[in-house]
Amino acid sequence: MQIKERIVPQGIILDVVGDLTYAHRAVFKAAVEKARQAGCRNLIVNLEQVRFVDSAGLGLLVLVSQNLKLQQAQISMLKPQSYVREIMSLANIPKMIPIYEREEDALMARAA
Amino acid sequence: MSSHAMSHIGQVPDSSPGIETPAATILLIEDEPVTRTSMAARLTRLGYRVLEAENGRAGLELARRERPDLLIVDWMMPEMDGLTFCDAIRRDPQLKSSQILLMTAHDTPAQIAEGLVRGADDFLSKSASKQEIIARVLAGLRTSRLVRKLETTGEELKSSMLLLEKKQAETEADLQTAAAFVQSLLPSPGSPVHGITLAWEYQPSLTLGGDLFDVMTIDEDHLGLYILDASGHGVAAALRSASLMTFLRAENMLQLLGSYNPEQVLFEANRRFPLSADGEYFTLWVGLLHLPTGSLSYASAGHPGALLSSAEHPSRWLTHASFPLGFDPSARFTRDRVSLKPADRLFLLSDGIYEVPSPSGELWGRDRFQEAIDAGKQTSLSATIASCFAAARGWQQAQHFPDDAAVVGIELTDYREDTFNG
Repeated sequence: MQIKERIVPQGIILDVVGDLTYAHRAVFKAAVEKARQAGCRNLIVNLEQVRFVDSAGLGLLVLVSQNLKLQQAQISMLKPQSYVREIMSLANIPKMIPIYEREEDALMARAA
Repeated sequence: MSSHAMSHIGQVPDSSPGIETPAATILLIEDEPVTRTSMAARLTRLGYRVLEAENGRAGLELARRERPDLLIVDWMMPEMDGLTFCDAIRRDPQLKSSQILLMTAHDTPAQIAEGLVRGADDFLSKSASKQEIIARVLAGLRTSRLVRKLETTGEELKSSMLLLEKKQAETEADLQTAAAFVQSLLPSPGSPVHGITLAWEYQPSLTLGGDLFDVMTIDEDHLGLYILDASGHGVAAALRSASLMTFLRAENMLQLLGSYNPEQVLFEANRRFPLSADGEYFTLWVGLLHLPTGSLSYASAGHPGALLSSAEHPSRWLTHASFPLGFDPSARFTRDRVSLKPADRLFLLSDGIYEVPSPSGELWGRDRFQEAIDAGKQTSLSATIASCFAAARGWQQAQHFPDDAAVVGIELTDYREDTFNG
């Protein structure tokens, strides 16, 4: 898994490529921690290039969501593929972490 | 000829102030007495401990006994010449890494090449200046120190590796014991109550698995069943799972809740097993089967669900979207109900059975799993489960699963059929 960070005026976008799984949790944690230390208030995880998220990956997303909320910040997800969306739906993740289809919408959500 | 050896000890050269270094030992093998005595005296004055031998055979005995740091050997000698001596040293397991300085008047390229091939490390001309002798001896000793350090490090490394392998074997034995204990907690295949057949297959991704399940008698009319899936792998996940399994025991739930009501079980488990600091959690599916009527009530906490397979209808999933345990401390879980008929089969499963990638990365998926279950309706329960595992393994073209994989099946046979039909 690879993560590219894009800093935009309304937040930070993490473009994730590969599987978000137990084996890659350290890479994801490090990227989130870097964004958090940079004072990010709006973290957008772009899942367009992610084919699979396992239970450990879901746990990390929820943990990040809970931790960011404590700091009045938020996380959202962008363009998950259909199978990833199905996994997330089963675990009710969309009720906890907003999902957007367009980057502008994710950025606007925070601005609003 | 008998071994003739003499020893001289002088000052240690280049010793650092305050650090006592033992004098390096040099074995000088030379048949010509004047040359040998003169060279020995020179080396002794330089601070080395010098051993002397008058031919290769005597030198070899001395080398085996004293393990000198440097061997200075004449090329031409009676009994055993320098080249034969080099051969013998390189064949000796204890001495083969010794540094050999071959003294010679032979210095053509062909002779030097032969000396190197036979095992010499460097050459010293008999007409060499005092400075050259010192320089070559120092170089030889420097190499000798490095080689010995390397040998010591290698031995330490080998010793550490052996220790590590021993520890690893102990850890593996501990894990096997723990795995056997966890396996003993799982229900025995067969018939947990009259009229119900139970079969299952479970393959943890590591020695210890984080997916656990149970099928248990709650009272004379009820059968409780669940499957839990811990996020993550390995010992930590297995320990957390064993802890939740203990919590889910029938007697514990009856004492705590007065029943095995699935949504209440999930509510309590959700309160007691929060998301860990590392983002670890459980998904859990709980069912309660009323044996007289075949009525199954069930609830799910983020679990992919159970699959109900009946003889007349296509199989269907028994689940709905819900938070896994620990995501929301105040979460409520919905109970659903379905009627099971004789010959119906209910499969509890972990996502590890269908989240297996093909070599190209495509997942086998829930739909293919469901097709495999439907295709096995005419075979026995255990054969159907075995065929699912075989299909998943065939898809991924590997025996071992990347995640814990479990499929638990129960089938209603003829138990209280009159009641079901009534």
